[in-house]
Amino acid sequence: MSDPQAAREGQVSRMVQVRALLGKELRQLRRSKGALLSATVLPFLVLVLIPLGQVLGVRGAADGPRLPLGSALPPGLAGLIQDPAQLIVQVMLPLYITIGGLIVPSVSATHTVITEREKRSLELLMALPVSLQDILLAKLLGTLVLALVVVVPLFVVDAVVLLTVGAVSPGYLALLFIVLLAALACSIGVALLLALLARDFRTANNLNGALIGPLILLALAILFGVPGLQRLVVLVAVLLAAGAGAFLVGARWLTFERYLA
Amino acid sequence: MQALRFERVSKRYPKGALALDDVTLAVAAGARACLLGPNGAGKSTAIRLLEGALRPTAGRVWLLGAEVNGPGYPAVRRRTGIVPQGPGMYTDLTAAEYLQLARRLYGRGDVARLMDVFGLEPYRHTMLAQLSGGYQRRVVLAAALLGEPDLLLLDEPTVDLDPVAMHEVHVLLRQAMEGRTTLLCTHNLAEAEALCDEVIILRQGKVLVHAPLAELRRQAQAQVRLAARQGAGALLAALQEQGLAARRDEADGTVLVTLDDPPIQAPDLLRRLLAAGLDVYRCEPVQATLQDLFLELVRSKR
Repeated sequence: MSDPQAAREGQVSRMVQVRALLGKELRQLRRSKGALLSATVLPFLVLVLIPLGQVLGVRGAADGPRLPLGSALPPGLAGLIQDPAQLIVQVMLPLYITIGGLIVPSVSATHTVITEREKRSLELLMALPVSLQDILLAKLLGTLVLALVVVVPLFVVDAVVLLTVGAVSPGYLALLFIVLLAALACSIGVALLLALLARDFRTANNLNGALIGPLILLALAILFGVPGLQRLVVLVAVLLAAGAGAFLVGARWLTFERYLA
Repeated sequence: MQALRFERVSKRYPKGALALDDVTLAVAAGARACLLGPNGAGKSTAIRLLEGALRPTAGRVWLLGAEVNGPGYPAVRRRTGIVPQGPGMYTDLTAAEYLQLARRLYGRGDVARLMDVFGLEPYRHTMLAQLSGGYQRRVVLAAALLGEPDLLLLDEPTVDLDPVAMHEVHVLLRQAMEGRTTLLCTHNLAEAEALCDEVIILRQGKVLVHAPLAELRRQAQAQVRLAARQGAGALLAALQEQGLAARRDEADGTVLVTLDDPPIQAPDLLRRLLAAGLDVYRCEPVQATLQDLFLELVRSKR
């Protein structure tokens, strides 16, 4: 057998393996009430209830806040402060979308990645012919699938309501959807780092806060600091860069030995 | 052909413990070898190096001709069945689901047949964590055999099992090991003796002994078991008078005396003991057990 042929067969076999492992992850996630509850309740609040409440609540408000004389606003807020509806749509809505995209994968990743390690069932998987890379890839894909299944319908609800009330244009909604996907991708990268660092649920939750918290603050700084639609472009770029960085660090340092330690 | 090989392998854990220290050993295809040693001797580390879960600090490890974690390793891993030591069990995956996963990862295997052979059919929809210890071990062994492996790596397959479950697993293991190269890592010397024909003893990360069990038995000093109506004390005293090394076997109160050549020396010894007034009612040659050999080797190489 020639090497390229062997490589091709290895590739096919690896895809089959990852699909098999992904099936296992999704089956386990479906059976985990805790993971499903946390992965749906929080996003419902952050992606639907709070933002739509604000958008609908602010409609008809005539004036913006009265600021003390001489006070300076960040560039991102300067043009919006007199229009509360635009402030909500252009700053707060992307922030909620970012938070929703960041928290769903991290919550389910805590379940899929850390439970396996904490209960030592990973050794059952290791006994089978599979690599750590494939195990983690399947876990991250499972996390992504769950996140998409939860987040996309919630975003559709947002989209329908926002378009109905005429709060945003379809183009702006498409940009918000890209922000959501970038936040999901970022969170997946962070989840891999979490797999490397967290030993148990408590550590994982603390680390989640330590990793996701600064990202939310960073998002807030970008939304306040960058004017116009560029704020969303910069936000997407920063989220993707942070996710890629976390993913590269995780992929470089993660070995069975570290994962099992 | 060698089924597995360690070449000058050392493994030091991040916290500093040296689990394997410059180990070189090979197990030939078809051999049934047991890896023995006290706690911390490096047995499980050796298995984990073979399954690719750990990387050696120094040296190289081969499995079925492919270097572990090298280009050919994924293919040979599919020809290797592994029973890990006391793994955690899934609370959200059934026995059938785990075996189906194993079948897809090996790319072959007949789950229904193995569930039948291992008596798992009634438990196919039971979560792994809800099975008894014996049945959990059956599932893990069935998964290891799904790919019809050439090589079996068994890490303490009966640890923590009750005697009945242990016996059942031994019966299944004996069938599973038929015609397969096996490396059995165990504390249980009786288990090793019953299942293996080659012995590797590790101590403090080094190979103390690696030899066929039969050869170790040949090297072991022959013994004869004696019992007399007057008791072990009287027998020991009489044997000491004759300058023979003997000890009381606490298990049954008999006396074990070491002889160079029992078929020649034992009849003469028996005549002398009877002449000395001891009513000897038992005199039989004893084959050294693996436990005797293990203790003798560990003591002699201290």
